[in-house]
Amino acid sequence: MIEFIPKILSGAKATLLIFFMTLIFSLPLGLPICFMRMSKNRFVKGIATVIISILRGTPLMLQLIVWFFGPYYIFGIRLNSDWRILSIIIGFSINYAAYFAEIYRAGIESIPIGQYEAATVLGYTKTKRFFKIIFPQMVKRVLPPVTNEVITLIKDTSLAFVVAYAEMFTMAKQVAAAETTIVPLFVAGLFYYIFNYLVAFILEKIEKSFNYYS
Amino acid sequence: MNIFEIKNCKKSFDGIKVIDDISFNVKEGEVLAIIGSSGSGKTTLLRICTFLQYMDDGEMSYLGEKIVTSDNGASRYIGQNELSIDALNNNKELIKIKSNFGLVFQNFNLFPHWTVLRNVMDAPISVEKRDKDEVEASAMKYLKKMGLETKAMRYPCELSGGQQQRVAIARALCLEPKIIYFDEPTSALDPELTGEILKVIKDLANENKTMVIVTHEMNFARDVADRAIFVDNGVIVEEGDAHELITNPKMERTKKFLQKYN
Ligand SMILES: Nc1ncnc2c1ncn2[C@@H]1O[C@H](COP(=O)(O)OP(=O)(O)O)[C@@H](O)[C@H]1O
Ligand SMILES: [Mg+2]
Repeated sequence: MIEFIPKILSGAKATLLIFFMTLIFSLPLGLPICFMRMSKNRFVKGIATVIISILRGTPLMLQLIVWFFGPYYIFGIRLNSDWRILSIIIGFSINYAAYFAEIYRAGIESIPIGQYEAATVLGYTKTKRFFKIIFPQMVKRVLPPVTNEVITLIKDTSLAFVVAYAEMFTMAKQVAAAETTIVPLFVAGLFYYIFNYLVAFILEKIEKSFNYYS
Repeated sequence: MNIFEIKNCKKSFDGIKVIDDISFNVKEGEVLAIIGSSGSGKTTLLRICTFLQYMDDGEMSYLGEKIVTSDNGASRYIGQNELSIDALNNNKELIKIKSNFGLVFQNFNLFPHWTVLRNVMDAPISVEKRDKDEVEASAMKYLKKMGLETKAMRYPCELSGGQQQRVAIARALCLEPKIIYFDEPTSALDPELTGEILKVIKDLANENKTMVIVTHEMNFARDVADRAIFVDNGVIVEEGDAHELITNPKMERTKKFLQKYN
């Protein structure tokens, strides 16, 4: 019975890899997409709007399949075995960046116009005004919705099964089928739950650390 | 010497004239009160003076230097061809001129994520590249003057409205401007807190600070300002000695406006 544990653990490692890589890339990538979306240039804004709409309007599962098989079916490029995890990280990061971009935009738009005006009269340039005054306040405002997305991401990592990536859920299912027992699935569920709990706990701490002002 | 001068200023929004040919100047050490009903364009005028808004036509100078000239019925800002708020914000020449003035808003607009001290210190250090220790000493001096030296490490949300407005005044003063504009500095405050702000501004007047104050506090304008202008429908209806204009207005429209305050 106990022999399935190493398999589950390797699946857990894969799940953590997807989770952290996605956060590392998508959180910053959301910012330039948000800038494009808010651009005064109608062309730039239009492109960003369409891209965000497609990324949010189609299933992530479908996007993962397109990223993985696309290079071969569209361009005839054969990629080596690393492409599997790479395409998953790209697919997840870009999809989540689209969601973060919209969250950032709402955060920026919620900052009172008076903050911009006060900074402008004091002589801050546009760049300084953004990074010193607008951005730090935006971070506080977007933390709750970002937390929601991060929690969703943990559960979404299981979608990597569509390209046969051996993440946690895939491994648990395999073992369960081979050994005709449901225990591995329970173990996987427990892992997701504990991981979720930890992430929520940490994010709540971060949110609280911004409570020094309102 | 004229610290500030504006001539034939015009401004419309969507074809609706808000300022229709306003001219005035402010001499060194002078306190000018601007009075008028709400919606008469007073805030727009201050926003034009502080480059938050551009004027459609007219001229403007700071310290005798022409910043805006009138060219074929349209204003032309130094160092730019375009009339837009974006262009104003990116105009390096205007950014330099901004150090000549400060603006105190009706609703303070302090930066909530910074301590009181950082609110006052950051622009002199980050914008004007002044020495940190020198700025800190100067910031503490102004906070002390505002009676807030014990609040330096507090955040704006921990202060009363009157205290926040005094921080905003210290923030403006710390940049050592030649002229400070006040846009209804007491209008967002509870009546019992307006006195402390008016007192602070009166002290500044006694030190011969050059100031332009938009206000509905007529007694204050009468006693503290040297000159007053009454704006209605985008034009100056009457101007002159503040005490005289407020206690003994000449024009019918001024009389009618002032009656509401008695
Ligand atoms: N950015 C703007 N766009 C359109 N209309 C504006 C804008 N700013 C001010 N106005 C209009 O200009 C008029 C004068 O406003 P304001 O300068 O705020 O007057 P006051 O400060 O004297 O009450 C108002 O009718 C207001 O609606
Ligand atoms: Mg106003």
